[in-house]
Amino acid sequence: MTVIAAGFVDFEITWRAEVFGGAPQASSAAQFGTVGINFRARKPRDPDEWTAALSTLSCNTRSH
Amino acid sequence: MAGVTQLLAGVARLIPGLDVESLRCAIRDEYSTVAMEPERGFHFHTGRRLARILGYEEAWLANVPEPSIASFAGTGNPFSLGAPRPGERVVDVGSGAGIDSLIAASMVGSTGYVVGVDMTPAMLEKARASAAEAGFDNIEFCHGFAEELPVPDEWADVVISNGVLNLFPDKTVGLGEMARILKPGARLQIGDILVQKAVPEGAKRDIDLWKG
Repeated sequence: MTVIAAGFVDFEITWRAEVFGGAPQASSAAQFGTVGINFRARKPRDPDEWTAALSTLSCNTRSH
Repeated sequence: MAGVTQLLAGVARLIPGLDVESLRCAIRDEYSTVAMEPERGFHFHTGRRLARILGYEEAWLANVPEPSIASFAGTGNPFSLGAPRPGERVVDVGSGAGIDSLIAASMVGSTGYVVGVDMTPAMLEKARASAAEAGFDNIEFCHGFAEELPVPDEWADVVISNGVLNLFPDKTVGLGEMARILKPGARLQIGDILVQKAVPEGAKRDIDLWKG
């Protein structure tokens, strides 16, 4: 969501893996399940393309 | 437009109460040590062993001097998403000791150009020494912050980064800078980390946790 909000489209995580196991020191962040990832995205060709990408992420919220 | 407003309210912004300058100092100290004493041992893997874990091809490392490989501390593999093409312009955000920038410089060739940006002087010094040793003249390393990249608007064909985005105090601003320097339609290729469990609000201001 942050990547698209910052001005990108076609965001995709292509790979994730445990990359910290066996490191010389223990990680204090490991308790939160940190894994390595690769991701890609693309700058839109024009503002309309970005607006369209944003609209696919937005959702309706119900008022109570 | 209301939907967009709701969406933007949910993105990662600067954490209230986070001391950005202290965070930058802590990160600079940590990565100065990675630059000067890569064999010390950290909470992450480093060097050639890490490059193998992340799927770097041996051929990519052929033109990278050993000191830059030794201080490699990435978390992913931006080149697994596609190699920069000959003649393209690449920006490496948080270029560290220069391994990814040097690989990219080989890929884009003499008609392309690579700019590495980092905030840690010891890393910049090491990266510049490696570029000189390897004889690259299509690369430069600049001091700078992700939130204010020293690159013109719409200059780059590809922005890469590896293990750095998670250290940005404000992810949206840093990513917005990457968008600013990319040409329309150009590519973002990032290696980073994903946190799979919710981090308590108080822990988000814990600088030791940011580092490791």
